[in-house]
Amino acid sequence: MALLEVDNLSARVQGRDILKGINLTINPGEVHAIMGPNGSGKSTLASVLAGRDNYEVTGGSVQFNGKDILEMSPDERACEGLFLAFQYPVEIPGVSTSYFLKAAVNAIRKYRGEPELDAMDFLKLIKEKMKLLEMDQSFMNRSINEGFSGGEKKRNEIFQMTVLDPKLCILDETDSGLDIDALKIVSQGVNALRNPTRGILVVTHYQRLLNYIVPDFVHVLRDGRIIKSGDKSLALELEAKGYGWLENAA
Amino acid sequence: MTQTVQTDQRLKGRTAHTPHIGPHHGHKWLEEFHHAGAAAFEKIGWPSADDEQWRYINITPITQTSFRPAAGPGSAGRGELAGVSLAGRGFYELVFVDGYFSPELSEIGDLARLIEFQCFHDASGDRTDRIRRYLGHELPAMSNGFAALNTAGFSDGIFLYLPAGVAVQKPIHILWFTTRHARPTVVFPRCLISACSGSQATIIQSFASLESDHPPLTNAATEVICGRDSRLELIKLEREAPHAFHVANEAVHVHAGAKFQSLTFNAGALLVRNNMTVHLAEPFGEATLNGLTISSGNQRVDNHTTLDHAAENCPSHELYKSLLAGNATGVFRGKILVRPDAQKTDSKQTSKTMLLSDDAVMNSQPQLEIYANDVKCTHGSTTGPIDEEQLFYLQSRGVSAARARSLLTYAFAGDVLNRIIHPEVRETLSTLTSECLHQLHIESVES
Repeated sequence: MALLEVDNLSARVQGRDILKGINLTINPGEVHAIMGPNGSGKSTLASVLAGRDNYEVTGGSVQFNGKDILEMSPDERACEGLFLAFQYPVEIPGVSTSYFLKAAVNAIRKYRGEPELDAMDFLKLIKEKMKLLEMDQSFMNRSINEGFSGGEKKRNEIFQMTVLDPKLCILDETDSGLDIDALKIVSQGVNALRNPTRGILVVTHYQRLLNYIVPDFVHVLRDGRIIKSGDKSLALELEAKGYGWLENAA
Repeated sequence: MTQTVQTDQRLKGRTAHTPHIGPHHGHKWLEEFHHAGAAAFEKIGWPSADDEQWRYINITPITQTSFRPAAGPGSAGRGELAGVSLAGRGFYELVFVDGYFSPELSEIGDLARLIEFQCFHDASGDRTDRIRRYLGHELPAMSNGFAALNTAGFSDGIFLYLPAGVAVQKPIHILWFTTRHARPTVVFPRCLISACSGSQATIIQSFASLESDHPPLTNAATEVICGRDSRLELIKLEREAPHAFHVANEAVHVHAGAKFQSLTFNAGALLVRNNMTVHLAEPFGEATLNGLTISSGNQRVDNHTTLDHAAENCPSHELYKSLLAGNATGVFRGKILVRPDAQKTDSKQTSKTMLLSDDAVMNSQPQLEIYANDVKCTHGSTTGPIDEEQLFYLQSRGVSAARARSLLTYAFAGDVLNRIIHPEVRETLSTLTSECLHQLHIESVES
């Protein structure tokens, strides 16, 4: 069974049609990249999958693990195993990363019928994952993303993803605002999550990230539709020729 | 015991109120003090809507009710105080019932070994001199009609004198408690604090009342002198019954190098008006004014602050936050006055409101008057519902909408609570905040 089955999905934001019939199948173990110029609908697709408000689905369906998720709240989708790494991670003053992450871990465990983690077990879990992303301990006591640099915010996204262990990771322009060192650390974190059961969907404007997170499939999105799909070489071709090349071909 | 003075008939229309004269217990100075208050009221009367400072508050429910002062302390025991007493937390507690000191209900412990505390009525000798030296200086009766009426009418008052260099470790809680009355009753709490040089303390004033058929009015006045290099944390807890009226004037004088920090916590009464004035009189004094309001129903809370920078090199910080539900209305008006000599002033004012319903209203207004040229003054104000982006972020990690909402609400309040200096007071107010939010059906967040 496919992990994610997007069938003819269309969606509208503030009265404007953005997605105009997306078809996409992600099987367990696969890494897919969605590329496209600004305004093509990449981030809208990521947001609609995660259940962001103000996005009106006007047609089609999305099956995740064989369940229709379009009627689910964002937290139910997360509990089902979907994770969205934000393009612009939100700052939340007054809520510590550690408190929030423990609440998230236990909400998901509860949903799955697993016992909640106590403080000790939780600490053990996060220490292990922090090492992987070369993160400082003090990070956990700080308010979520408050005063973080762009790189720290993105690293925090991947760190949370690692801790929450989702079935499908959606990375929305994770490379934007990252210098080369941060990009390497973040990619390393994502690659460590690659396994035969997990799916990864990388949404990006540039090919650069795909040097580090090598996709199995590349899709080009333009004006709300996937106009071309291929393997990783498609990304290189795009990088060389630009989006204009496909526009002319389409 | 209570006397009245005849109001000049020509002024009747303006004041429409005969000030009550509080008891003086044979103290001539006190009798004169009360009469000076009454005379001041006859001159200035009730604040009117023409007065910019009182434009946004309708005080007619107060001016048109015939409030009478309590004839003496009503009956109250530990049972009645249980919900508002902080003695169980190990704080010193001075209890006033209907404006009269209650030694039986107070928990004084070893406080008398550390500081002097004195009811005005019992004062004699040096202590009377000290009270007379300070009383009415920071808050003259002419400040406004309510200050005048308090000056005229208080039944007793408390004077706390922190000798030089003394650091009081445990918080001092002054509890002003109003009992149930068979008619509209006014109480005039009066508090005078002098923190001598290098002294240090955390002082809490709580206002609480029993529910009764007739709404009580509390007209409170507090004067504080922060001596050189003193550290004073002053907390005001408004927890009166839901129909009560409450007006408080607090005036603070900050000497060189002293640090004054306040928290005005509003969680009770129907109508609350707080006037907080801080006079930074000498260089390197510092003032931090914080506020937290949690309102619902038809509550209305007006917070007015004035930071008077009269000397150079004084920093001031202000953070007033409001959580408004139901039809609640909030007002924050923060005046920052930087006088010509107050160079190198560094002042930051922030007002933030989270609206928990569509019908709640906030009116936030900075008022900067700057007459010096080398100063840094910033102000900012935000009002709105819970941030949808933050909500979505938390939900996208598996946290339910209800839990995410409460997390964000607690975090909003926590931002103010975390600034409380005394750790046990911080804990106490965090618990109180949880209780208030619980009443607004916001589920609690265990830490």
